[in-house]
Amino acid sequence: MDFVFPNEVNVTWTVMIVLYPYITGLVAGAFIVSSLYHVFGVEALRPVARFSLASAFVFLLFATLPLLIHLGQPTRAFNIMVTPNFTSAMAGFGYIYSAYSLLVVLEIWFVMRSEFIARARRGGLVGLCCRAILLGNLFESDATRAADHRIARVLAGVGIPMACLLHGYVGFLFGSIKANPWWSTPLMFVIFIFSAIVSGIAVLIFHYFVVSWINGWKVDQPCVRSLGRYLWGFMIVAVALELLEIMSIAYKQTEEWEVLGQLIEQKLMITYVILQFLVFSLVPFLLLAISALFKLRDKLANAIIWTAATMLLFQVLLMRWNVVVGGQLLSKSMRGFTDYFPGLWEKEGLAVAAVIFTLPFGILWVFNRIVPLFPNAERRSA
Amino acid sequence: MSGQLEKNDFRHTYRLIAVLVLFVVGAAFARWWAVPETFGQFGRYRGAAVASARTETVPRYVGEETCADCHEDQVELHDKDAHARVPCETCHGPGKEHAEAEGEAPIARPEGKGACLVCHQRLAARPGSFPQIEWREHYKFVGVADESVECTRCHDPHEPLYMDRDLRTARLHPMIHRCRDCHQGREDESLERPENHPPIFECSYCHGPIVEDFAGRTHASVRCTSCHIFFREDESTGRIIRDADPRFCLLCHRAADFRSDDAPPGIEWPAHREEMGTFPEDADKRCIDCHRENIHASEVSQ
Amino acid sequence: MSKELSRRELLKVLGAGSGLLLIHCGPVPPLPGTETDYDWEAHFWGYAIDTTKCIGCNACMRACRAENDVSEGVNRTWVERYRIDAHESVRVDIADKGDYVFEPVAGDVARAFFVPKICNHCEKSVCSQVCPVGASYMSKDGVVLVDHQRCIGCGYCVQACPYGTRYIDPRTHMADKCTLCYHRITRGLQPACVASCPTGARMFGDLKDPKSTLSTVLRQGRYRLLRPEMGTHPKCYYLGLDREVV
Repeated sequence: MDFVFPNEVNVTWTVMIVLYPYITGLVAGAFIVSSLYHVFGVEALRPVARFSLASAFVFLLFATLPLLIHLGQPTRAFNIMVTPNFTSAMAGFGYIYSAYSLLVVLEIWFVMRSEFIARARRGGLVGLCCRAILLGNLFESDATRAADHRIARVLAGVGIPMACLLHGYVGFLFGSIKANPWWSTPLMFVIFIFSAIVSGIAVLIFHYFVVSWINGWKVDQPCVRSLGRYLWGFMIVAVALELLEIMSIAYKQTEEWEVLGQLIEQKLMITYVILQFLVFSLVPFLLLAISALFKLRDKLANAIIWTAATMLLFQVLLMRWNVVVGGQLLSKSMRGFTDYFPGLWEKEGLAVAAVIFTLPFGILWVFNRIVPLFPNAERRSA
Repeated sequence: MSGQLEKNDFRHTYRLIAVLVLFVVGAAFARWWAVPETFGQFGRYRGAAVASARTETVPRYVGEETCADCHEDQVELHDKDAHARVPCETCHGPGKEHAEAEGEAPIARPEGKGACLVCHQRLAARPGSFPQIEWREHYKFVGVADESVECTRCHDPHEPLYMDRDLRTARLHPMIHRCRDCHQGREDESLERPENHPPIFECSYCHGPIVEDFAGRTHASVRCTSCHIFFREDESTGRIIRDADPRFCLLCHRAADFRSDDAPPGIEWPAHREEMGTFPEDADKRCIDCHRENIHASEVSQ
Repeated sequence: MSKELSRRELLKVLGAGSGLLLIHCGPVPPLPGTETDYDWEAHFWGYAIDTTKCIGCNACMRACRAENDVSEGVNRTWVERYRIDAHESVRVDIADKGDYVFEPVAGDVARAFFVPKICNHCEKSVCSQVCPVGASYMSKDGVVLVDHQRCIGCGYCVQACPYGTRYIDPRTHMADKCTLCYHRITRGLQPACVASCPTGARMFGDLKDPKSTLSTVLRQGRYRLLRPEMGTHPKCYYLGLDREVV
């Protein structure tokens, strides 16, 4: 068991391709949280509704960056929209991504129009930019606000299936590769959607707490509790699906299990079994269960929810790693495994990945300077 | 949220709609403009790419006919021997540059044992019927003591089997038909595995007494075909080694510096002839004129 | 042909308003860029490998590299050596370093053999199916090719190929693969690997021609395909293939 086809020695899809589904997952998840408020009227989520929409937007801005860095010919990226070959699952990417981006931009435009108008009226360079964003029309009345609200609601509604499509589609890209038994499963589509929602909620919780802490705000307790419960529910489904997939292959003991079993045993023991499942799934599950089922003091509950959310952020990242990299470690000869770990400073290395992942938070900070994402945040009493 | 919204309440979206329409139209237009001219000509790909695939690369492996333009003699020899189906450029590498420069540009002339062992090194995975050696064993077997001796001291790569070019006076045994005598008009591939051919005959079928006689002689361990090399040129002669040219016997019996001590008895040639002094200088006497008893009787009374 | 508008003219005619014309199709000229007569619709190329004849000399690999200037570290064709011991434990290796020469290895062997590998030029090639930009395609004569003016280097085709014959070229950063020496076969030559094989283990021929050697051999039906369950309908037919090779 040590033969790898000669062209497989170097892994084709690097940590950049791990990052790409991770970031699109954050987009889809954050968008769905905002839609829970805008479409389903979950009032508890109101304090993070804008924040989540803006988060979806900033992550969306960076979702394609790792792809561009990974492409051998990044200047030809638009070929995917110029001459899409629709027998390919990937050909739709350009259109799906563009349509979804447009939708998010439009929703932000309608949801935050009042704030943009207020900012535009304050003048200055930023005000001028806001004026440009508003296309020069600063007219506002109760009627326009109502109209914007209605349109935003429709967009948010349309956005839910699109968010699922955008991200489930990423799962499909992997799930449809029949040559790779670690990827080839129709469940991949669903697993990706649910893990996306988990990561989206998790990043909102994580970030909301961090922002509140930095600014000395009081977190909105019902909102956090509600997010915690949603996170718990979605993570149960996500992990259950992930387990279901591997358990059914393992239980059926088909030919592919012979290699997949060895893949898990020899190559993915730490990242998959120990970290993804035993540490970063089981512990957050227990923590969230405690916070959801028992009456805890706010401080303790918040600490638990924040810890669980942060761990789940890692869980989803690990899951992306185990899918994307794990699948490539297995040689198509089914007779051996290769190795991969990104270098720190290489083009598709860890440093670049860290920068790509940090940038959205920076943009979000700028965004917040222009349009406050937490207009009603209360200061923590000292 | 007011229940009744009028058309006017959406007026602030008109510019946005205009921008969107412009964007979509612009994008569609940009896309249409960016599609390559021949895309979709034959299928969902750029038609002109096919022509590039044909012309971007120029063949470097030119083939035996090109080699034969200048090296007719070599190619002719090569085509008669065991390496007949080994293309020239398998050993010599691509010949384009060499041929285009009419020989001025060098062509690879592989040297060293490695050049032969690429194919003939004994490997478990090589088909059993393929000639392969462990070269040290082979040297020991044929009595070569000096390991620096190259394969080419005995084997001409163009005619590896017949070893000595002048031995081509040997003739084809009349009873051994050439493949094409029976397999006329069939594809070459059907002739490739003679070892799978059902046995036609053994030497003893016709030459029983000679084979029997041979078994008692000093050369008994040598196979008939080791000396009676079949050659394809002319089947009219009954004898296989026409003249038992001394050079033939010397292939095994030469007392050369690279021979080991257990090699067949070495003979200094032509000193041996002079030593014996039994025949005049110019007569190219055959070995078997004196050493007949070491081989076998040529006429055996029934 | 004469009615075809040039793109610029069409731009003028259409003006800015009608951007919805998404696909531009022109009339079909014959296969261009060729000095010889070659009718690509008259052929459908296939390939066969007689594993019982392969001696593992790697002449094919050297020839392929010399002919096609293949980058270091990647391979369009290679030869696998299988060594199987009495307990059916399989060891496979390749000689892809240095001079590409197989060295003898110690160890018990119940059976051993060589298996040359090459792009299967699948009739339903999954690599062409998944190429998002139409840079990978099958020509009408049955050869899977890469358009190096369109490839974006995403690597999806590399992932999709069940045979591991595709790679991202480290020099061009684009997908690349065996072209079946398209520049040779359309000139009436054999692919370099076939032309350099000393034992005739590699066969190349026209599946559309019932009299071709390949068709003759295949008519006997005594061949196997690699990973047939993938539904890719490979056109590389293996004769005498051991059951351990999939």
